[in-house]
Amino acid sequence: MNNLHDLWAKRFAHYMSEVQKYMRFIFSGHIAIVLVFLVGAGGYYYSEWLKTAPSDFPTAYIVAAVLAVVLAFSKPITLLREPDQVYLLPLESHMPLFFKQALRFTFFSKIITVIVPYIVMIPLLNATTDLASQTIWVIAAILIVLRWVNVQGEFAYRYANRGANIWLDYLVRGVISALAIYHFVLNDLVFGLLFMALLFVYVTMLAGKVKAQPVPYEHFVKLEQNRMMSFYRFANYFTDVPHLRGSVRRRGYLNFFYRLAKYGKQQTYVYLVLRTFIRTDDHFYLWVRLTAIAALLAALVDLPWAAFVIVGVLSFATTYQLKVALLSSHEFRMDQLFPVPEQLREQAVRKVLYVFMTIQAFIVAVCALFVSPHIYMYMVIVIAVAVITERMTKKPREI
Amino acid sequence: MTVLQVKNVTGGYTRKPVIQELSFDIQKGELVGLIGLNGAGKSTTIKHIIGTLLAQSGEIRLNGVTMSEDMNTYRSSFSYIPETPVLYEELTLKEHLELTAMAYGLDEQTLQQRQAALLKEFRMEKRLNWFPSHFSKGMRQKVMIMSAFLVNPALYIIDEPFVGLDPLGIQSLLDQMHARKKEGAAILMSTHILSTAEKYCDRIILLHEGRVRAQGTMKDLRKAFNMPTATLDDLYIAMTKEQDANE
Repeated sequence: MNNLHDLWAKRFAHYMSEVQKYMRFIFSGHIAIVLVFLVGAGGYYYSEWLKTAPSDFPTAYIVAAVLAVVLAFSKPITLLREPDQVYLLPLESHMPLFFKQALRFTFFSKIITVIVPYIVMIPLLNATTDLASQTIWVIAAILIVLRWVNVQGEFAYRYANRGANIWLDYLVRGVISALAIYHFVLNDLVFGLLFMALLFVYVTMLAGKVKAQPVPYEHFVKLEQNRMMSFYRFANYFTDVPHLRGSVRRRGYLNFFYRLAKYGKQQTYVYLVLRTFIRTDDHFYLWVRLTAIAALLAALVDLPWAAFVIVGVLSFATTYQLKVALLSSHEFRMDQLFPVPEQLREQAVRKVLYVFMTIQAFIVAVCALFVSPHIYMYMVIVIAVAVITERMTKKPREI
Repeated sequence: MTVLQVKNVTGGYTRKPVIQELSFDIQKGELVGLIGLNGAGKSTTIKHIIGTLLAQSGEIRLNGVTMSEDMNTYRSSFSYIPETPVLYEELTLKEHLELTAMAYGLDEQTLQQRQAALLKEFRMEKRLNWFPSHFSKGMRQKVMIMSAFLVNPALYIIDEPFVGLDPLGIQSLLDQMHARKKEGAAILMSTHILSTAEKYCDRIILLHEGRVRAQGTMKDLRKAFNMPTATLDDLYIAMTKEQDANE
């Protein structure tokens, strides 16, 4: 393969087909409905809040901070693979062409992650600042330019330093981007442009360092592997990704849960499923994350019906995803040979789910104390939704 | 007394059968070697016996019952050591043993006694609370072996057991097999290490293209191939040549 243009095109086609394969599941699954609900509830709540937003709300700070964080994360998508460090070595001098295409794709694919939050914040800008609508669109264009500069910057930094101390680069680009956006939002064009220029200088400086260096394949390959891994992790919440193996941690401080499984044949699967749930990062953090989101929203949302919908939907999401995760199996496991009825596995998963959904209900209810006296309703809703979800959904197909 | 009886079994992954009209049996206290080239159907045969593949025709009886007649008795009657260790990454060594003991209905006292002896035999006492991610291939294999011997069933099914084990591990395994055999257990072992098979197996089943090419003691096999002084290696190579000649 002498033509690096073709190489990129091939990689890109393969990457897109892989992404599409899983995107189909993501958008057709139950969880898509959950997301629609959450976005709907969030949107409604946001618009209600805007009506009463105080005029001294620190809009400029918040807009600048949020967008700067989003902009600072501009990881290059290079689509490099492990064998490349061997096979592409003779093509070292042609690699800039490859990276140019990679960065173009990175830039276009990341425009959306800064523009969407900005569009969401436009009503806030309209409500709390007196920016002209023209200026608002000019800022959108500026954000796109900032994205381009940040993508170039992060790539150059990673190339030149092989990713060492990348947080320093995030900090520099984040702060400068934040200052630029802050001044633009305050309608202060001069300072806004000044900070943008500063960012250009920083990035140009980094780009200068790249020239003398060989391609840091190892770093970029690692970056790609991590990126694909997090994509598969994400997709795994919606469907089963076969080649995903979660990492395991002991979490000894949760050992007391294992008392739920007494020694005995009937408890075989409870013994196993409890440990699988608590020690597999994917399963456990899924529960932690969704419980934290539910608790946070329960503490913040003071419209009762909206809060009930949110915690209900999150209870559904937790139960459903965990059920799929704990019951699906792609590989041969020794317990498939155990002289123990197969139903016991389903019953064990049910037991573990009920225990941890009751804990979620309890945490959510305690957090709801901040906004509502009817905390028992929160508990009832979380538990009822969990039980109905567990009972009504099918077990995943064996593959 | 017959522990395992495989009768006219035809089966495989798809409609096209990998094993055809396979018949053999294993008696109490007998160590039987399952020998064959790659792709001869050894693993498929084992998968049918452990029940992860279902036969298209024929039947397999273990302790007198088929799996569909009495799943519980059938599954309690054997333990299986796969070629590649299959461990739970989230369970420690101790928990692997405990889980196995629970599943096979051992009481806690029996578990403690057998566990102590096995840990000592395989020199794994110090690794009780380790997770498999810290184990070498040989140690992983030992976890499988200990779990299997913990159960003390009527039949052991052991798939290619010697690869990855250190010499002491191999000796411990052979000792254990010998001891269990004496107590009346039956063992079916598939392997490519022919010298070991020849030395330790009471009988040998030579599989070829999904069929039993020959079975019996070394004496029977030599007779079948008409090679009166042959080692198992010689017989194996003779079978290979036969295959090449037929192609």
